[in-house]
Amino acid sequence: MRHGRGRFVAGFLAAPLAVYLIFMIWPYVQTLMYSFTSWGGFSNEAPFAGLDNYRQLLSDDTFQAALLHNVFFLVALPLVTILLALFFAFLLNVGGRGNRAGVRGVFGSSVYKVIFFFPQVLSVAIIVILWDALYRTDGQGLINFLLIKLHLVDPNHPLQFVNDPTPFLGVPKVLWWILIVVVWANVGFYLVLFSAAMQSISKDIYEAAMLDGATRVHTFFRITLPLLRDSVSVAWVYIGFVALDMFVWIFALTPQQGGPNHASEVFATVLWREAFTRGQFGYACAMGVAMAIFTLILGAIQLTATRRERIEL
Amino acid sequence: MASTPDTVSDLSRRTLLRRAAAAGLLASPAAGLLSACATGSSDKPATGGDKSSDNPLGVPKDSAVEVIVFNGGFGDKYPATDQQLVQEKHAGVKVDLKFTQKIKTEMQPRFSATPPDLINNAGADMMGNDVLANQGALLDLTPLLDAPSWDDPAKKVRDTLAAGTVDSGTLNGKPYALNYVYGVFGIWYNAALFTSKGWNPPKTFDDFFTLAEQIKAAGIAPWVHAGKYPYYMGWPLMDWIQKLGGPEQGRAIDNLEDGAWKTDEVKQVITRIQEMVSKGYVLPGSEGLSHLQSQQAWLDGKAAFIPVGTWLESEMSSPPDPKDDREPKGGRKIPPGFEMTMLPVWDVTGGDKMPYGAARTYAAESWVVPAKAKNPQGGMEFLRAMLSKAGAGKFSELTKAPTVLQGGADAVTGSTALASINNVIKGVGSNQIIVRINDWYADFYNGHQGPIGELMAGRSGVDKFMDDMQRLADKIKKDSKVKKQSR
Amino acid sequence: MTTVSDTASTSAITPAPGERIGLRRPGRGERGGVLNVFSHAILVCWGLMVALPLLWAVMSAFKTDAEIVRDPIGLPDGLHWENFTTAWTTGHIGDLFLNTVIVMAGGVAGTMLLGAMAAYVLARYDFPGNRAIYYLFIAGLTLPIFLAIVPLYKVVANIGASFPWLGLNSYLMLVIVYIAFSLPFTVFFLHSFFRTLPTEIAEAAIMDGATHTKLFFKVMLPMAKPGLISIGIFNVIGQWNQWLLPTVLMQPQSGGEEKHAMLAQGLIELMVNQGYQGDYGALFAGTTMAMLPILIVYVSFQRQVQAGLTGATLK
Repeated sequence: MRHGRGRFVAGFLAAPLAVYLIFMIWPYVQTLMYSFTSWGGFSNEAPFAGLDNYRQLLSDDTFQAALLHNVFFLVALPLVTILLALFFAFLLNVGGRGNRAGVRGVFGSSVYKVIFFFPQVLSVAIIVILWDALYRTDGQGLINFLLIKLHLVDPNHPLQFVNDPTPFLGVPKVLWWILIVVVWANVGFYLVLFSAAMQSISKDIYEAAMLDGATRVHTFFRITLPLLRDSVSVAWVYIGFVALDMFVWIFALTPQQGGPNHASEVFATVLWREAFTRGQFGYACAMGVAMAIFTLILGAIQLTATRRERIEL
Repeated sequence: MASTPDTVSDLSRRTLLRRAAAAGLLASPAAGLLSACATGSSDKPATGGDKSSDNPLGVPKDSAVEVIVFNGGFGDKYPATDQQLVQEKHAGVKVDLKFTQKIKTEMQPRFSATPPDLINNAGADMMGNDVLANQGALLDLTPLLDAPSWDDPAKKVRDTLAAGTVDSGTLNGKPYALNYVYGVFGIWYNAALFTSKGWNPPKTFDDFFTLAEQIKAAGIAPWVHAGKYPYYMGWPLMDWIQKLGGPEQGRAIDNLEDGAWKTDEVKQVITRIQEMVSKGYVLPGSEGLSHLQSQQAWLDGKAAFIPVGTWLESEMSSPPDPKDDREPKGGRKIPPGFEMTMLPVWDVTGGDKMPYGAARTYAAESWVVPAKAKNPQGGMEFLRAMLSKAGAGKFSELTKAPTVLQGGADAVTGSTALASINNVIKGVGSNQIIVRINDWYADFYNGHQGPIGELMAGRSGVDKFMDDMQRLADKIKKDSKVKKQSR
Repeated sequence: MTTVSDTASTSAITPAPGERIGLRRPGRGERGGVLNVFSHAILVCWGLMVALPLLWAVMSAFKTDAEIVRDPIGLPDGLHWENFTTAWTTGHIGDLFLNTVIVMAGGVAGTMLLGAMAAYVLARYDFPGNRAIYYLFIAGLTLPIFLAIVPLYKVVANIGASFPWLGLNSYLMLVIVYIAFSLPFTVFFLHSFFRTLPTEIAEAAIMDGATHTKLFFKVMLPMAKPGLISIGIFNVIGQWNQWLLPTVLMQPQSGGEEKHAMLAQGLIELMVNQGYQGDYGALFAGTTMAMLPILIVYVSFQRQVQAGLTGATLK
């Protein structure tokens, strides 16, 4: 049935492609072109600069440090988020009391699930406002106040949170504090995602395994985790893109939008500053292009490594 | 199960690398398109209408003027007066007032497409005027400055302005920006508290350190600052350096001279500031506080001194809008009996090159006309109206802040804060501390906050600070993309 | 062997284990007692970490500015409802909500329709250029939005010069821009989903003489429902959080025109405003007003959301 096929394909692709090409690809193509100019962003003069911008990238310390911070998030964010979400999902679904014949979730698991999901439905703007107040650096901040009351923190040296660039495990502490916020905001979603996947695993498998004397922890690692591979890899890809971006979080939560003293710069904040503060739009475009290529490569590796395989039960 | 080719595995690393390479090759043909695309639009210069004594700038008949006002600490009430002035003088001309706080986010994209006629480029999200000027995006305001003033046609606009106003908006030798608000930076304390404790406000750093022990013993932190925005601390820091080292030291820093941050004067000042930190004279947690948090802590008596500019009282007055008659029940930010009082920066040593009383006056809150504005004459006319006695007087009445119009705030009477500000300004005389580097180089303004933050958090030392600042200055000096200024 | 759609649909109806246990007697089990206590301890901790900040924000909405700055933890000295009035009138929360709902309804629906059409054709029809178009969509995943923001502004301004209903500050324009920026992930997600749908049914339908269009709307789209719901949720969350695009694009072009701001944009404006005028009370009141309806909608529909997400895991 080849009749009308070509017309159908063209007809179905026309609208999405037109919208996509005009409003997304065309601006990016212009970006690519600007990356070979010294356009400042405020005028219509864009002198051709060849590969100058790209050459400058190679010696830009701030940009390179920022890339490393992205790599930190790229490793830590999916890892922590997914592990925590899996752990919670496990507790919710198989962590409850059970008798010989039953494995089940904890009492009130649906209530937990609703509460844990809250941050996901809040606008990022709200989350940022909340954490900005929680991370207040003097004794009046909510966290500092409680810790000082509990004598866990010296009132003369309250926690500095996102104002602290000193390293912890080789990474500026500010990045760890940001990591907590982003994990806090995202765990609920993946918890529900994994939880749903766990429920689709037949109970019989667990119960059979437990009759054979396997502990719950064993069943988690031997049964649940392998069967969740699919959802975990989807989650990994999605959080990976979050980790490469991180713009809103760093921009809104850290002092000097990437500080203190550049300790929390990610590629996006550096790019933003070049484009919108320093008026180096051409250079910023080159950064973006370089980053897009980097992401494309990473994405390909990630997608290849976690490519889906069918689960057959 | 139906055979389903795995889509994702096709996206192998190798194809992707090939694709990336191809994208790189695409660059050369794309570059050819640039001249057509990036510089495509040819903008006609705005011609303007006929000039006359009633219309010295030549505002076109029946034109519209689009004015973007920064809706910040000064509120959104005052421009209505200027709007009315312009519309009354030029029947048929319509002034469009728009208010925003996201100046950069909203205006940056418009600059190369459809810029407005006048922008109040101010606030945390402002665009760097240096960046704009260097790209030829701003209009030279000389016609406005040379036009007859609104109230007295015999006097040019430039002759009605406070000293230093025109200079403060001059970049690359041309007046591209007009700063509207006049003020001074200083150090604030609560005179009522000091009187009750029998403390005298310090005149030197030694005084301060002696007093600091007593203050601390009274359970109050001697110093608090808005550490989240380290440029607040940058004001006294740079003022002290210039006060000790004199105008030459100030010029050396502004002119990015080699070793300007490595002088003995800088070292002495930073050593004293570091002493404040290491002796625990700074309110714990200051390094992360916002301006409002630090100012509230000071008002609540948690700290004795705070470095801020003239606007402190209006910023902390509650309710912010004088027409808002909400009962500030238990919510008054300024406690009753509090006497806000400003001091000039105190002496660093006995041998400062500039005498006690020297301070940094400033003209701030810049207004710019985009070079590609459709009706730049209208934009400038609006500015001329703002610099009338009626316009400036209304501004000061509403905001309690003086403008650059000489005598514009005469009618405004006030508080201890205003009285002390007037004293400080009078005491300055010819000993003006001048710092231009922050306006000249957006890179410096952004870059100097890191080292100051580190110093105030006690994480760096005197030498590290000096090294970092010198490196920053050297980097700007070497950057061929940054247009250099000097004075 | 289980086909994808089977698993997805069964699991969607399977009640959560926690609900089942609620019906059973909570008798002491032989195993899992320690684990149970441990589970609850950890879950309660995390639950508090999530819930307390939200409650604190609601509480702060009833305080005066000075109270919030001075004593962030204490209880309000009275209920300062005027914060809500201020946020409602100066923050225009009601208008923002309406604007956001209008744009998101169009944006999400349009994204789903166009995304499904593109993904379907790319996944199930072979034609020259198929791969190229697919990768073109995927490439969009890697690009940061703000990189294109200035050129995008120019594109929209230029289009608006000829067609004002598609120009700056127009709902339709923002809907289309949202669609454009949501297409990459939607196409990526649905593409693999359509690939896994069994071909037998499609072939049978074709044998029965169905046209390609009919096949898509009558057969394939219903079969892809779990995937559509999942990607719909992703898109709702993504577009709900969009801030930069509306801030730049929703700017009135003449004085009389009203700014069609989105909620996230308005909240950020309130937050910035707080930096200048110190109106913390209004900020938290605005935050609360923006937060509560969403939470209520979520709590009411949480079962559907969770069931929808089940589809996401089983392509």
